[in-house]
Amino acid sequence: MNTNSNVYTVIYTTLICVIVAAVLAFASQSLKPRQDANEKAETIRQILTAAQFEFDASSNEAILGFYKSNIAEAFLVDADGQKTGTLDTKTAQIYGVSDLKAQNYNIKGEADYNLPVYIFKNGTTVLPVYGAGLWGPVWGYIALDSSCTQIAGAYFDHESETPGLGGKIKDDPEFRAQFAGKTVNTADEVPFHIVKGGAPAGQTNAIDAISGATMTSKGLDEAINIWLKAYANYAAAANNTTEEE
Amino acid sequence: MAQKLKETILNPILKGNPITVLILGVCSSLAVTVELKGACVMALSVIIVTGVSSFICSLLRKTIPNRARIIIQLVVVAMMVILVDQVLKAFAYSIDKQLSVYIGLIITNCIVMGRIEAFALGNKPWPSLLDGVANGVGYGLILVIVAFFRELLGSGTLFGFPVLSSLGYVNNGLMILPPMALILIGCIIWVQRSIDKSLQEK
Repeated sequence: MNTNSNVYTVIYTTLICVIVAAVLAFASQSLKPRQDANEKAETIRQILTAAQFEFDASSNEAILGFYKSNIAEAFLVDADGQKTGTLDTKTAQIYGVSDLKAQNYNIKGEADYNLPVYIFKNGTTVLPVYGAGLWGPVWGYIALDSSCTQIAGAYFDHESETPGLGGKIKDDPEFRAQFAGKTVNTADEVPFHIVKGGAPAGQTNAIDAISGATMTSKGLDEAINIWLKAYANYAAAANNTTEEE
Repeated sequence: MAQKLKETILNPILKGNPITVLILGVCSSLAVTVELKGACVMALSVIIVTGVSSFICSLLRKTIPNRARIIIQLVVVAMMVILVDQVLKAFAYSIDKQLSVYIGLIITNCIVMGRIEAFALGNKPWPSLLDGVANGVGYGLILVIVAFFRELLGSGTLFGFPVLSSLGYVNNGLMILPPMALILIGCIIWVQRSIDKSLQEK
């Protein structure tokens, strides 16, 4: 058989491509549920870590179970701080990273947005943030007390920041630990500061930036401030309610 | 036969090492060697991809139209890379996140295509599989050596466990940056060529 004829070459390459496409489609379809479950569990793990919970993160089931038994309510709020929808806590419905990305476009494009709020039984409120780092998106979760003024903790993740430099927003526990105990007032023009060269002593709404990762620190600073400002009306309402009590 | 088989397996690991002798796949070895864990998974992924793609291409070698052979090889390699990425996403999610784009970039690793062109198209499937795996091991070995020094001196840890940091060692930030990986690979090449004089160019 002449394997160099045009007809043979065209048929052969077409056939190979079809077979490979079929194999990949099958693999993608059969692994998708598992991948989605992993992604969801990872997001919930990050939310729980931000909220300073001690929990068993060894399996997806353990993470979901812990979340379900500790979450009080999860809902969506718009720019006016009004509730526009609820997230089902029984099935641990959450806003994944792609949902945050979509809302980030809405916030920046000054379109209507619906942002998730997670409130745990111990009163901790977790708000997500999303923005651009140096190489790709950075996002994270900030845990506040019920009045939305005191930070309990935070957790951040990124898509492709440099390991050991920008990657420290995720990998360096000392960076995250700085957030605990800080205060934030969403009514301020700039609610929170990540300061290059070190936060001034005594300033309660600022932390040290990461040395060697100026752009990532800047991006995270921007993400935190843009998102906290987007929650400003909700936070103000939450603050009033706690003061009345 | 046994002698030839031994050659097939040992040559890519030592005398014909893809990184230090053929200088292939250097780019990715700079990127994924900050931490040992990532380097090990990357090494394993490359071993699987080179091994299986060589095997498949060798099975098809008599039917592949000569003029379109690079395309066909590329399709097979791409399939393997995507499969590895999908499986990691489903079963080793945290590691896949850590390696992020580099798994996808195995496809551009010259070792894979190089071995298919140079070996798999002219040999039977089993030796091709061995050749692919051995080249993956040769690549992985250098990756692990470089990652060992970079993690130890750059972060003071090994596999994430503190080793030097508990002794009051101050981390060397340069170790974490890619240029240091290049310098380390240079050192490995130097050491290897000093020991094995036959590798030195006249």
